[in-house]
Amino acid sequence: MFAIAALGFRRVVRMCRVLSLEAGLIRRAWRGPITIGSGITSWRVSIRSAIKEGFMELTGEQQAVLDGSRGDYLAKCMRWLVDWGEVMGAKRLIKVDNTHALLPVPNLMAQGASKETMDRYMADLVEACSHGTHPGCTCTVHAAFVTLDEVDVPENDPEQVQMQKDLAVLAADAGFIPTFTCAPYLVGNVPLKDEILAWTESSAVVYANSILGARTTRHGTESAIAASLLGLVPEFGVLLDENRKGTLRIEVTAELEDPPDWGALGYFAGKAAGLGIPVFNGIRRPSQDEAKQLCAALATSGGVTMCHIAGVTPEAPTIDAAFQGDVPEEYLTFDAETLRETYESLRVRTGDEIDSVILGCPHASINELSKIAALLKGKKVAEGVRLWIDTARGTKGNADRMGYTEIIESAGGRILCDTCPTNMRIPAKRIVTHGFKQAHYARGMVGAEVIIAKTDACIRAAVAGRWLGDG
Amino acid sequence: MPRRMLAYVRQLPGGGSEMANTIDIRGHGVVKGYAEGEALVADTTLSFWGEVDAVTGKVIGVGHPLEGISLGGRVLVIRSTKGSSGTPMVLNLAQLEGNAPAAFVNVEVDGLAALGCIVNEIPMMTELERDPFGLIATGDHVVVDADEGVLRVTRK
Repeated sequence: MFAIAALGFRRVVRMCRVLSLEAGLIRRAWRGPITIGSGITSWRVSIRSAIKEGFMELTGEQQAVLDGSRGDYLAKCMRWLVDWGEVMGAKRLIKVDNTHALLPVPNLMAQGASKETMDRYMADLVEACSHGTHPGCTCTVHAAFVTLDEVDVPENDPEQVQMQKDLAVLAADAGFIPTFTCAPYLVGNVPLKDEILAWTESSAVVYANSILGARTTRHGTESAIAASLLGLVPEFGVLLDENRKGTLRIEVTAELEDPPDWGALGYFAGKAAGLGIPVFNGIRRPSQDEAKQLCAALATSGGVTMCHIAGVTPEAPTIDAAFQGDVPEEYLTFDAETLRETYESLRVRTGDEIDSVILGCPHASINELSKIAALLKGKKVAEGVRLWIDTARGTKGNADRMGYTEIIESAGGRILCDTCPTNMRIPAKRIVTHGFKQAHYARGMVGAEVIIAKTDACIRAAVAGRWLGDG
Repeated sequence: MPRRMLAYVRQLPGGGSEMANTIDIRGHGVVKGYAEGEALVADTTLSFWGEVDAVTGKVIGVGHPLEGISLGGRVLVIRSTKGSSGTPMVLNLAQLEGNAPAAFVNVEVDGLAALGCIVNEIPMMTELERDPFGLIATGDHVVVDADEGVLRVTRK
């Protein structure tokens, strides 16, 4: 049914012309030559043939919700999904099976904000959590900006922690599982192939689409909440087969040994791919931890929603399949020299003394915690160095019972749950980390110098109190 | 320039039109609405997550061409935003503090910025008929009429 009745009501946005290109997540105004790193180089209009016009078709029930049959808040949620869908070229709303939503108190993100701002911001979250999640939809919660644990960290404002705890109770009552992680696939939210998701957290979005073969566009706070409550998402972008086609071929000749090597590949490819879909050829199957680093880095340097690894990922049994039969002849090469240069690009420093070693970006797996514990066993972290490993509380629960937590803590390290130091805005001067995403964002968000390194080199630096090189 | 005056502007070939010190550029309103403000122009991308302070609206990205400049009340003319889930949240906090951009003028539209603009009722324009980076300079006064699909630029 075409929702003609709604035409006058749709004030804020109107879908006019949408180009279904690449990941489908963008509307390209000008389709010109694409250069590495900067997206489109031409501002001129050249192709109009792919432009479609029209409104989304809503069912009678969806239209009724939009018109207020389930109250003002759900009408607003429906409005967000419909307006967003129309901007992005969706023709309809479809059922969503699984969501991962942001429900954070802002903590230091809102440092200096007025009380009125905080009150209005919190009122929106409380309103969202006062409605039940859609029956049958699995809903987990993204990482927060505080840890709910009691810690001697001044940035973990007790008032904000209490607000987050209260919100977690409301969220759980509404049907959200308060996982507080950026890697929901490590703590039980593991979607199947072709499952329709509405996930926030760009690294998890890339992982779900690429490694698991599930389908999610990149969601923001409001769209993921609306999807959780209504059980619907606008159908656009990588939810559709044709938008899952590779756009950039990358031949990998470098030997990738460790998770950060895969992060380097992702950091390089994300910059080159922009909002497109890179296809990697010539590499082995990554481990889960390696795949996690690859996906996180792709979403850091670029706006990548998914990738393919030829011969490895579910939709790329061959390179031909990854490009849906249209393999480009041009390609980029990621060789040993490029690997080295990519590391060096995040090692700009004025000295070797360090004050922080941050591991677990995205949140550490139980496998990573076991390896870190093995590296730390019998050692001591240098005085004045903060060694923090970020993870989900579910994973820390496992680590506690397996003895890893005790080893890490006796060495002077800390396992931090629910959040990460960058989200918390912990000040640091020079950080060593194995996560390209952490390294990239820590520079701006906490103003630190960063050194990207493999996990064993990170631990050596933590023990020595200074960067010792790759070793 | 009052909004109703836009209709009297002389049309030029190529989709633009000009008066003495002003220029009109036609385009497509992605997120409808009307706003005006001083232009902030950079032919680059910007991530609201990690590169913009949510409260002050200042660009904090190290080495970013706009580093240190507040986006508050400005008509932000950039190539596109970089997508992060945090984009709408940062825009929301900045909007509540009065430090969000008045409008977005982007060459490419990233889905998360579009969502942030929808939720926070910030107009967004794209598909300009003329090169925005050649015609708009930082400091110019820009009227964004995303309902009609017109930018009115008054040079400083």
